[in-house]
Amino acid sequence: MSLTLNIPRLETDRLILRGPEASDFEAYCAFLTDPVRAEGFGVEKNRPKAWRWFALNIGHWALHGYGYFTIEDKESGAPCGLTGIWNPEGWPEPEIGWVVFEGFEGRGIAREAATRARQWAYDDLGMTTLTSNIVPGNDRSIALAERLGARFERSYTNVEMGEDMLYRHPGPEALA
Amino acid sequence: MNMPDATPAQLPANVPVVETPDLILRGYRETDFEALAAFGASERSRFVGGPMDRWASWRALLAGMGHWVLRGYGMWMVEHRETGAVAGRVGVIFNESWDEPELGWHIFDGFEGQGYAYQACLAARDHAARHMGLDGVISYIAAENARSRRLAERLGCVHERDGTLLDQPCQVWRHPKLAETAAETKGQADD
Repeated sequence: MSLTLNIPRLETDRLILRGPEASDFEAYCAFLTDPVRAEGFGVEKNRPKAWRWFALNIGHWALHGYGYFTIEDKESGAPCGLTGIWNPEGWPEPEIGWVVFEGFEGRGIAREAATRARQWAYDDLGMTTLTSNIVPGNDRSIALAERLGARFERSYTNVEMGEDMLYRHPGPEALA
Repeated sequence: MNMPDATPAQLPANVPVVETPDLILRGYRETDFEALAAFGASERSRFVGGPMDRWASWRALLAGMGHWVLRGYGMWMVEHRETGAVAGRVGVIFNESWDEPELGWHIFDGFEGQGYAYQACLAARDHAARHMGLDGVISYIAAENARSRRLAERLGCVHERDGTLLDQPCQVWRHPKLAETAAETKGQADD
């Protein structure tokens, strides 16, 4: 039997945003178990826990109709990061998140992918506002949130990450 | 201020439904969450990684859904036919680092002692063997979980070896294959 989800495939100039595939797992696992790179995202202690996160992201898609896309580099076909909409139990509201895997930083991939995912959330999901939750000290993500037009709104305690800062993105009208 | 969800993808409808006299084995629904969270918070979950907070139960629910997509099988919610309440979970688990696919079960508070675990396990095991290519699976059972060991014996399992699961010592029990259970049933009928 096969069970598949209707996860859309989105494109930008250099990237494809698509549903996670089983063959992406090694790239996810390398990122999720890296205590430095995944610090602002949520570090998974080991490979079994990373697989569980991989599965739960797919479950998030099944339950909500949205989740984290795999960002694929068109040129090489390699999975090069994640972006998407995240809203698990205990979250203040849906957020847009992004992550770039090792070796793909410094090329504007996160910005290009997150811009497309945000547009999808507004145009196709009908969302009217979006946030990004960023842990204090994650200056790289703060800088990108600000370049995307998001503004700091408040601090709060996140169920997974602890002290967290909520940035508010411009809504669909402001971006139109 | 949670946004309404987009049209959910098609997963829950795609999980096969398996029926027994008292129970309906079906895919997960978001409305199952409170029952799962209550189980996760209780001492009853101590042999399946608990007790755990709501956040961890939520992750478990989503991971359980994702398991079906990644493996083509997984755990069903066990619905109590008469009341419509969810009575537990049963199904085949093959998480990363498992030796092989495992038949697992847990029954929620208030539904134990009525043979539901036995009924659900037989139905799930039979379906997995016939339709998922999973015949003669194992069950991981903690040595101190006497109740589950008794059920495994009743299900015709044998204690094959001692192993580990997620770095914890654990017994590995082997279920009979479909052909073996068929022969056994026939033998009993002939007696």
